[in-house]
Amino acid sequence: MRYDVAVIGAGINGVYTALELLDRGIEKIAIIEKNYPGSGGTFRCATGIRASFTSREHVVLMKRSIEKWKELSNRFGFPFVQGGYVWLLSREEHLRNFKEYVRFHHSLGVPTRIVDPDEIKELVPTIKTDTLVAGVHDPIAGKSNPFTALLNVLEYLKKSGVEVRYPEKAEKIIVENREAKGVLTEKERVEAETILVAAGYGSRDILSTCGVDAPINNLPKHALITEKYREVFKPLLVDWETASYMVQTVSGGFLIGAELEEEYNRPPMNRIEFLYTAVRIWSKYFDWFPSTHIIRYWTGYYVMTPDHHPILGPVKDVESLYVSTGFSGHGFMIAPAASEAVAEWIVRGKPGIREAENLTIDRFKEGRLIHEIAVFG
Amino acid sequence: MDPRKIIICRCEEVTLADVLEAIEKGYTDLESLKRYLRIGMGPCQGTHCIPIVLRILRRATGKNAEELMLPTSRPPLHPVQAKYFLGGDNY
Repeated sequence: MRYDVAVIGAGINGVYTALELLDRGIEKIAIIEKNYPGSGGTFRCATGIRASFTSREHVVLMKRSIEKWKELSNRFGFPFVQGGYVWLLSREEHLRNFKEYVRFHHSLGVPTRIVDPDEIKELVPTIKTDTLVAGVHDPIAGKSNPFTALLNVLEYLKKSGVEVRYPEKAEKIIVENREAKGVLTEKERVEAETILVAAGYGSRDILSTCGVDAPINNLPKHALITEKYREVFKPLLVDWETASYMVQTVSGGFLIGAELEEEYNRPPMNRIEFLYTAVRIWSKYFDWFPSTHIIRYWTGYYVMTPDHHPILGPVKDVESLYVSTGFSGHGFMIAPAASEAVAEWIVRGKPGIREAENLTIDRFKEGRLIHEIAVFG
Repeated sequence: MDPRKIIICRCEEVTLADVLEAIEKGYTDLESLKRYLRIGMGPCQGTHCIPIVLRILRRATGKNAEELMLPTSRPPLHPVQAKYFLGGDNY
């Protein structure tokens, strides 16, 4: 069997791109996954979704993504809660920077707003604001459930004839005369007209098998979750001073990420100091937090590129090879828009959203890096 | 006995009927079942439900333990109150 498209990686971007391809009439699709669907970044993510970024590319794609999150959550019966984001600022200099970001957001139609400590208390019941000078509220941001967001769509794909092959490791991309012809897996040779690499932290390795150098480095990141509680607040919170975030997930647990000093490409190991760091930061804001129960702590990767923006679209040197990776910590939230862009590229030769054209892998060789002022959490 | 009345996962209130329906839908490894039904994601961390689901799944699919993908264990083994990570003299 020769496929129209073989997708390497059954994370949210591989799966959603398969959906967008199917919606555009491409039927013979295989998704090859070395572990299980969602097993990389998708199922470890913080679940937040926002458009309040500091580059045009991110804002435009994420705005489209939010529209699509609404559509997809209705179509496939999973939650998308538009509960907003609140950045907590404890220094005047940060407030000054954020005033500039807010102006930038407004220029692209994202209605963020500086809020005073009293307004923060309204948005985030029970929070203590005595250390804060101000906050920033993004009312169109939200959160979803990565499990149902992926699995519900995957169920639909399988019913529609998409072949989801797992566990099956892709070992080599087969290229003949500078054209991608298929994927050699640990089981067999899989022939396809088009190959899409959406392999998250494994993307660099699999791309190197056909001589494509993707400047991706995997940065270990840490997160914990508490038991489920009834809803206390809706927004995802970012403590700007420490670049730590806290969100009450749609399932009810409080999910926290906090920064530890890390080395690129080190195995993602648990480190007990993470728990101390995370608990200290958030106990400062919530009197009740010390009495919650932590039930799980996990480590995963941010798949980082030099400019913290994804790599999307075709590869100049290899015909029929496409890439969707390097999301630098934002792969879940951008998935609906990135997948739409990549599917359009594959089917019609253009990504639809013009800004996506700035994100091809060739930008690194050609020195067209994208500048992003802030990557949080 | 009615499978809708047999609780497999007490933390997340998942019944035998839920498990059988999920297997029917194609969730035939534990990692995927865990995310689909939330079995093993509550305070017991799967110590009660996962061995039971493992047996059901093995009977239903004939797969061996490796193919069934036993979920990765994550710390802590039991729920721990956050206050124990505050440090200082208080706890």
